[in-house]
Amino acid sequence: MRYFLIALLCLTALARAENVDLSTVPNRATVQLTIYNSEDLTLVRETRKVTFKKGANPLQFSWAGTLIDPSSVELKFLTQPDKLSVLDTTFPHAKPQMLYWNVQSDIDGEATIEITYFTSGITWVADYVAVSNAAEDSMHIDGFVRVQNNSGEDYENAQVRLVVGTINLVEKIAQLAQMPMDQVRMDLANGKDKMQSLRKAAAREAFSRPSAGAAAGEADEKQIIKEGLSEYFIFTIEGTETVPHGWSKRMRSLEANEAPFKIQYRYRPREYGDRLVRLYLLANNKESKLGGSPLPDGVVRVFRENGRDGLSYLTQYPIKYIPMGEKIELLLGADPEVVFELIKLRTFRDNIWMSWNGGQILRRVDDGAVKIEIDSSVVGWDEHQLFTQRIRNYSQKAIDVEVERSYDGHVAFRSALNPSLFDYRTVKFTTQVKPGEKKDHPFEVVLHQGINSKQNNVTLEETKAQ
Amino acid sequence: MFKRLIAPSCALIASLAVLQPAQARIKLITLPERQRVEVQLDNPNATLVEEERIVPLLAGTNQIDFSWANTAIDSGSILFRVIGPVEGKEMKINVLSVSYPPNENALVWQVSSSESGSARVRISYVLGNLSKSFNYRAIAAKDETTLDLQQYIRIANLANESFGSTGLWAGFGPRFLKPIGLNETKEMLMQNCAKVPITKTYTCNPAEFDYLDRAQNKLRVPMHYVLKNDKANQMGLAPLQYGKVRIFQDDGKGTTAFTGEDWGKFTPIDDEMKLYLGVAQDIVVKRTIARNQRQRIAGNLNNLDVVIQYEIENFKDKPVTLDVTENIPFVRSEIGRNTGRDVEWKSGDETTLGALDATKTTVDTAVFHVKLPARGADGKAEKVVQKFQLIIKNEW
Repeated sequence: MRYFLIALLCLTALARAENVDLSTVPNRATVQLTIYNSEDLTLVRETRKVTFKKGANPLQFSWAGTLIDPSSVELKFLTQPDKLSVLDTTFPHAKPQMLYWNVQSDIDGEATIEITYFTSGITWVADYVAVSNAAEDSMHIDGFVRVQNNSGEDYENAQVRLVVGTINLVEKIAQLAQMPMDQVRMDLANGKDKMQSLRKAAAREAFSRPSAGAAAGEADEKQIIKEGLSEYFIFTIEGTETVPHGWSKRMRSLEANEAPFKIQYRYRPREYGDRLVRLYLLANNKESKLGGSPLPDGVVRVFRENGRDGLSYLTQYPIKYIPMGEKIELLLGADPEVVFELIKLRTFRDNIWMSWNGGQILRRVDDGAVKIEIDSSVVGWDEHQLFTQRIRNYSQKAIDVEVERSYDGHVAFRSALNPSLFDYRTVKFTTQVKPGEKKDHPFEVVLHQGINSKQNNVTLEETKAQ
Repeated sequence: MFKRLIAPSCALIASLAVLQPAQARIKLITLPERQRVEVQLDNPNATLVEEERIVPLLAGTNQIDFSWANTAIDSGSILFRVIGPVEGKEMKINVLSVSYPPNENALVWQVSSSESGSARVRISYVLGNLSKSFNYRAIAAKDETTLDLQQYIRIANLANESFGSTGLWAGFGPRFLKPIGLNETKEMLMQNCAKVPITKTYTCNPAEFDYLDRAQNKLRVPMHYVLKNDKANQMGLAPLQYGKVRIFQDDGKGTTAFTGEDWGKFTPIDDEMKLYLGVAQDIVVKRTIARNQRQRIAGNLNNLDVVIQYEIENFKDKPVTLDVTENIPFVRSEIGRNTGRDVEWKSGDETTLGALDATKTTVDTAVFHVKLPARGADGKAEKVVQKFQLIIKNEW
């Protein structure tokens, strides 16, 4: 343990110039960590039992070698609050990671105090493991949270709460932890006191909850209780955890058995690059055996049972926060069993318009012959491009494919593919390709160029199926 | 305790003591050995190792340590699954949490068990430096109409970990059961396709293969073997993977001669793999642009009338078919016009090369096939003169 609460057994409270001192060290009774994943920020709330005598009681709190923000440290009396009060708090200039509280007591006896502060260096991340069955119609999903402690302090038997959501901080805790308190005060004087009030409000909200309970049972996996709080979600890990400095710990936060999903193939160059990709589609809802809470940002690792008593590793990639009810798209990448080709069949131009730029009358000198040369140039035309989107499916199942193609300028898209417009410039159509089938999807793109270009959008024109 | 385990690189330790809140200094540990290992090579970018071990568990909470010193295991990919009790006894086993010690390639699972007994567990992880590649050996028949194609998988184990009898599967083809030693490379036959029909092609295409002698307008004429990856041609079980193809030819004397090698591209089912063997110097093609005529339609709008002439000689003692290929945008830039627009073109009436190949001709490429007679008995080759009239329309 790298920081201490010391009850000083001498009467002087403010100036600590004595070279001979006597102190007692009250131990932590409970500790609670509220860890935010959007910022390097953890709210620590700890309780200790301290015996006070009547009159002034100096308390020293120090945190050498840790990453505590000195401006966030607060002391509160959980018992005897009407008989105990903090007269003042002193941050000695010579000892930057230390403060003194001058506590006035009307009692001679024990009281429970609560110390709260922000620290950096404790983080948590989510990750997920999805294992599809061999038939690829349902999957087992495990969600995990991993707490990493690099704060410089060992937290034993701590209740751990994880905050999902993005909070606003005006300064980084890690920077404040390195800053002497007199520097922090100067910043406050410069108008940055909003930060302090924000923190205090957040701390009060968090501190108003009851303290951690006893350790969990032996054999059952700990439950993670999820509940909403304003714009955030709080995951509370059942019981207490010990996460020493330098260690990290990973626990299951959710589990979904036989969650049904669909497979879709997509061509969306802006999103996935110039390739047809395969996706598993499900949703963070009850139908998908999920939906109990939002899914925090994290890496998803996707496996599939390969039908040979083993797994195939499909992919891993990061997902962003998924609210409850929102769809989940697991991008698997290209499928070597599906060949996706765009074949340009023909191109031609028509509807060509010339601009008359004037003319010249020429006369030959020897015989006086006269010739009129008209100077004109092309100023508008339609460029016709005929394509077929060929899809070959060598997999064992019929596949659903969605194709999106974007065009710049004034464009007519002619086909019998029953397309729709995703936006003003993007054409979208869907198709199904049976196993072993080679399917062509012909279409024509007419690019209105020059003066023929009157718009900047795509219009759909239906043609007869070929 | 992890640092003690230098070899083997991946180690599993089951602590026989029920987990105490504080880390004990004195421990009794067991070292469960691998019972089964499967290496899944079906992902093109990653190798998944799955190993099964039998772990003794005590009733209560157990600690299972897994360390991977000096190996490139992706720690985030490690998956721990309990398959079940070994002796069929009723055991309720839960994985409670995983802890990661600082500065070590190790982790600790906390596993609870309702009963004492052994459980079979499976640990899966993505392992770096255990990679696969493919290569091919092709033996062409003497008449070069078929070849025997053998596909090999080569597994290079630079993962700093040895595996005993290990199942190896590439996602297609057979599963192998082989040991893979430290720094060992193992090669195995994936498929053997006998008498695969091949087409021997000679192609001239200045845009792709350039000139052999530009000053004399002589085109380079490469020779290829073309084989189709489909079931009708004894293949088509899976896409052919990228890899080097070494090509030999039956010399008719019971032995083979090495005739060249090429990189075989990834070839989906029903597609053709084209293997370049070398330049055919016995087929001489001289190419000239014989005509470049502009036909004005109006103002700056023109059609272009281009004639490309080929003087072709076959010095081989047997007739061959030459594929004459022209990249149309390349031709347009050759005659000094490069508008960047697509080329609207057609083959004109003066073309003597015959009909365009409807399958291989694309919007940008014209493909013709020209039959060339064998050289005469006197050793002289007949000079065949052919023309391709290219009409490029609506250019400005």
